[in-house]
Amino acid sequence: MTELAAVAAFYPHIKALGAELLAISTDSAYAHLVFKQITPAITNLAAPLVSDRTHEISSAYRVLDRKAGAAFRASVFISPDQIIRAKFVYPKEIGRNISEHVRLLQAFQYAQETGQGVPANWVPSNGSQPAPAEKKR
Amino acid sequence: MDEKLHVKTLAAYPAGYCATRDDAAPMFSAEGVVDGNQIREVRLEEYRGQWVILFFYPSDFTPV
Repeated sequence: MTELAAVAAFYPHIKALGAELLAISTDSAYAHLVFKQITPAITNLAAPLVSDRTHEISSAYRVLDRKAGAAFRASVFISPDQIIRAKFVYPKEIGRNISEHVRLLQAFQYAQETGQGVPANWVPSNGSQPAPAEKKR
Repeated sequence: MDEKLHVKTLAAYPAGYCATRDDAAPMFSAEGVVDGNQIREVRLEEYRGQWVILFFYPSDFTPV
């Protein structure tokens, strides 16, 4: 849940880069809806919450925890031509760094524009290190 | 009996589809909560031409 709250905070940065984020779990769409309605931190989250009720998506992307019947904490970056360009899997008990997701999108776009590789710890030269957006009430 | 997994054993097997870097993204269509509180079909194909992050998470209503 704190991950999705963090996604809500960074979502404007993701949209500003022309990208989309689809949050996916094996819960039903109705569970997603109620979850959104009763969780203040994500009520305003504009990113689609996708239901992988059949486990097909998690399974196909090789991120299904079969014992738990739930997806791993995994992020898959798909380029505009719908090729997987990056994938990472996090531990169950540790939330991801959403700012790093934004940096990775920025880095992909920088690499594409300049034809250059992107060094370790690169941040955009305009200093636009993403900060969480102001919380809307 | 040695039950440890060895690289020699694994390296001998074809890996199959791993959904990793440079693989085609498998297409899907599924119900989702979109545009506030609408439930509708979401198709990955709709997002062709844009970067997309698939953000898998274990479950609604849990900490972390």
